[in-house]
Amino acid sequence: MKNIVSLLSVLTLIFVVWTSPAHVAEKPYKIGVNLEFTGPWAEVTKTVKNAMVLEVERINKMGGIDGHLLELLFEDNGFDPGRAAANMTKFTADKEIIAIVGPFEDNLQATTRAIAEREKITNMIICPSNPMVRSLKQKWAFNIAQSDIIVSQKLVDLSLARKYKKVLVFHGAWPLAQSLANYYKAFGEEKGMKVIISQETHKPTDIDMTPQIIKLKPIIEKEKVDAFYACTGGPPGPIICKNLRTQGIKIPILGTHAFGFGFIIALGGEAMEGVEFPAAKPVVFDQLDENDPVRPVNIDFDKRFRDRYGVGADQLAGYGHDTIGLIYDALKRCQGKVTRATFREALENTKGLKSCHGIYNYSPTDHDGLSKTDMVFVRIEGGKFKRFKLPGFE
Amino acid sequence: MSSQPAKGAQKEFRKRDLFYLVPLWVLSLIAPDPYLYHKKEFKRKDLYYLGAIGLAPLTWSDPHFHHVMVLAGIYAILALGLSLFMGYAGQISLGHAAFFGIGAYTTAILTTRHGFSPFVALWASVLSASAVAYLIGRPILKLKGYFLALATLGFGEIFLVMVRESTDLTGGVIGIFGIPWFSVAGFSFDTYLKQYYLIWGVVAGLFIFSKNLVRSKLGRALLAVAASEDAASSVGINVPRIKLEIFVLGAAFAGLAGSLFACIMSTANPETFGLGVTVPIVMMVILGGMGTIYGPVAGAILLTWLMDILSRYQEYSLPIYSIILILLLIFFPDGIGTRLNVRILYLIGYWAKKRKRDEGKL
Amino acid sequence: MGAIYALVALGFVTISRASQIINFAQGEFVMLGGVATFFLLNGVRLPYPLAALIAVMIVVLVGFAMYLSVLYPLRKASILILIMATLGISIFLSSTSGLIFGTLPKALPPFTDEQPLMFWGISMLPQSVWVLVSTLVLLTFLYLLSHRTLLGKAMEASSTDPLGADLLGISRSLMVFLAFGVSAGVGAFAGILITPIFFTSYNSGTLLGLKGFIAAVLGGWGKNSGAILGGFVLGIVESLSLAFIPSGYKDAVAFVILLLILYFRPKGILGSPFIDSRRW
Repeated sequence: MKNIVSLLSVLTLIFVVWTSPAHVAEKPYKIGVNLEFTGPWAEVTKTVKNAMVLEVERINKMGGIDGHLLELLFEDNGFDPGRAAANMTKFTADKEIIAIVGPFEDNLQATTRAIAEREKITNMIICPSNPMVRSLKQKWAFNIAQSDIIVSQKLVDLSLARKYKKVLVFHGAWPLAQSLANYYKAFGEEKGMKVIISQETHKPTDIDMTPQIIKLKPIIEKEKVDAFYACTGGPPGPIICKNLRTQGIKIPILGTHAFGFGFIIALGGEAMEGVEFPAAKPVVFDQLDENDPVRPVNIDFDKRFRDRYGVGADQLAGYGHDTIGLIYDALKRCQGKVTRATFREALENTKGLKSCHGIYNYSPTDHDGLSKTDMVFVRIEGGKFKRFKLPGFE
Repeated sequence: MSSQPAKGAQKEFRKRDLFYLVPLWVLSLIAPDPYLYHKKEFKRKDLYYLGAIGLAPLTWSDPHFHHVMVLAGIYAILALGLSLFMGYAGQISLGHAAFFGIGAYTTAILTTRHGFSPFVALWASVLSASAVAYLIGRPILKLKGYFLALATLGFGEIFLVMVRESTDLTGGVIGIFGIPWFSVAGFSFDTYLKQYYLIWGVVAGLFIFSKNLVRSKLGRALLAVAASEDAASSVGINVPRIKLEIFVLGAAFAGLAGSLFACIMSTANPETFGLGVTVPIVMMVILGGMGTIYGPVAGAILLTWLMDILSRYQEYSLPIYSIILILLLIFFPDGIGTRLNVRILYLIGYWAKKRKRDEGKL
Repeated sequence: MGAIYALVALGFVTISRASQIINFAQGEFVMLGGVATFFLLNGVRLPYPLAALIAVMIVVLVGFAMYLSVLYPLRKASILILIMATLGISIFLSSTSGLIFGTLPKALPPFTDEQPLMFWGISMLPQSVWVLVSTLVLLTFLYLLSHRTLLGKAMEASSTDPLGADLLGISRSLMVFLAFGVSAGVGAFAGILITPIFFTSYNSGTLLGLKGFIAAVLGGWGKNSGAILGGFVLGIVESLSLAFIPSGYKDAVAFVILLLILYFRPKGILGSPFIDSRRW
């Protein structure tokens, strides 16, 4: 078995799009990437991978970290907790790997986080996992993306500024959407809003939401709700908007940060006009303030990403960029003494790192890097994302 | 092979024969005998396998190896139960993952919410999975062929929807976290090595149990049912009852596997128990050879390692995986072990006959 | 929704009329039809009708290739092997199309204007009317094909009485081969029809395929009219059931219907020409 494994790893080296210079004085720092390259998240993980490869190449061209190059090892976990866990042990067994990135899906993270905790290796989670897992306060897991808490807070700000008193939430039946809906209700009712969470839900694979919308229609009319919060991500977003408009419901629609992708507008077409949502900065990086610290980072990264892959960088590419940026920054601060433990210490002490999505700060009590100020308000206008400001809230 | 090959080609052919006959001969020493159920006593080979399984983790002390083999062992338990139902009784089930899920959720709920020890929860899981199988088995097992496949598939899907929607009981889509390690009488299986011995101990136990079972009266009756239900009932076999019994037994195996799986993964969530796990298990049974006891175990080890190795091909892993599965189905529809053994016997026979003929001519 | 189930069910029935195979990859034909049209329309920039036509042809070729490469070698295999082989093909087709065309969901422009029409207070998209009309046209076509032409009769003969068909000199393999082509074409056509309303993504095929199968069983296995009826009944029941139960249970409805129909009336609503004559 070992022979096969080693033979295959040789093959993989050829297979992975990886060009490291032949003469390397120091051993490279290895990072394991455990993502869903097949399954529903395939497109997402491909973008993240592209961004990570691009960034690692840039760092290696600059000479790496103290003469050490960075090296990424990719493994597909096929949307399967068993395989995700097996990949984790595969990476931890390789003593040269200092940190593991991924997985993407909430339910897989629970498993890998537990392993990371046990095996004492840093696990960088790109998408924040559901609050139940996060509340375990794990020492070795770090989150990259905006958490559901700050998205909900930002959205409550948006609703308050628009003077929405009653909002109907139609959420998806998966962990992140559920917790977004619950936090929105909690924060909104603190500020005196009335938030109705609908009993109806939808799944990521639902292709027609008309039946649910028809059931929601009487509620909307009876309760006179001011806005409709489509608490979802991916394709259901535009489907909901389309179905709402087809049913002749004209109230404003609020979205989540997961609406900030070009394909959402392409799918929804005209139905998406006027949808407002809190978005990550890369969505509208060209409309950021001149003095915004992350603007130059984004412009530079978008240009390089476009040159290499032919499409502009989006939020997800931004996450890939930020992950490598954080690793690079932490490794530099290790000052040559890189072990799994020192890397974790350094990463936990990350302060004020300017990257695509905003400014990252980790601390022993807070493993969510971003904060509310790292989001902006965005409206869809004329088939484009348009940033807008609300006085007093931003 | 009745036709006489040309004389000139004969000598050449004999030399070339060695190239594949030698590896095939070696394989035949290792590969299990597909028709083992005819024989009563344990063969020496069984001990070799047991020794290999027992010593393997000490030779490769890599935690990843242990971990993958632990997963393979869980799949082996599942496949063993399914093999009794599909391979011996000749029925089709695409809903086996649901019993796996029932076992996992029973353990998860009992250990995290009610503070039972995993050992107690294990038995509860086996019981609950069997009970559900008993209830749905009665109506469903009246069906045959495609309709049975579809009905069991439907049962699996309904189970998934129930799990997703009954949030209070199962945690809904979020699932249940923090299931404790498996432990018996204070001894906790907290490393992959210990789990390896736990799981493969269970596999060995169930293996011996199944082996005795298929040689028992029940096992013979099952083979009769698989061959022809009409004929079986005409010789006095209670066909519906025997099908139900074996269905419940398969579900009990799955419940056991589910319970162990929950303890090892420390989580339970609905995505784990869908069609994504049914397809591999059924493949393990088919590829190992229907109607064998070694087959599902070998198939489980083979496919789990295949999936693990393919992981590094990233986005190409799923297409490659499906192509391999289809090719294996086309070339080994009766299972790899069975086909290999038959081919070896055939080749050895052919070779011997040929030599005799040549000698006779000389 | 019902019309889509009906179209998918038609594909199942077409194959079942010629052989005993149940093609679990039928849903993937639907997906491929939509995705390939999208690619030809936006990637190659062909005009809409041409893109649709080529997409249907591509999918028909895929159907042919699938039969020749996998199912022909397995023609003597057992039901279980066939199920697993078609499931394997289904995984292969969906993952490969995800690899080639990307896994993002695709939306085609509607055939005509997007303004909803109002019929008796029910708002309806013009595309839905297109779907309904096309379903009826396709049904007529398939009915004529299977009941009025020699080819259709030969196909049916090769399924109901394989030995008799052989004696009459009907090439059964050829019949199944053709049936695969027709059913792939029907599937692809369905995919093109529905992509403007519902988005098609690489993994939407499996569930559609299963529900189409359920529809075929519900209406009466092996009957074109049964498939259409079953499709519409399933679609309507699924939508109506949402008024009484939370929408999370929606997908379970189809399977509960399936279990009930299998238990109480395996012939389906209209009865099936096969169920009694053959042991399922």
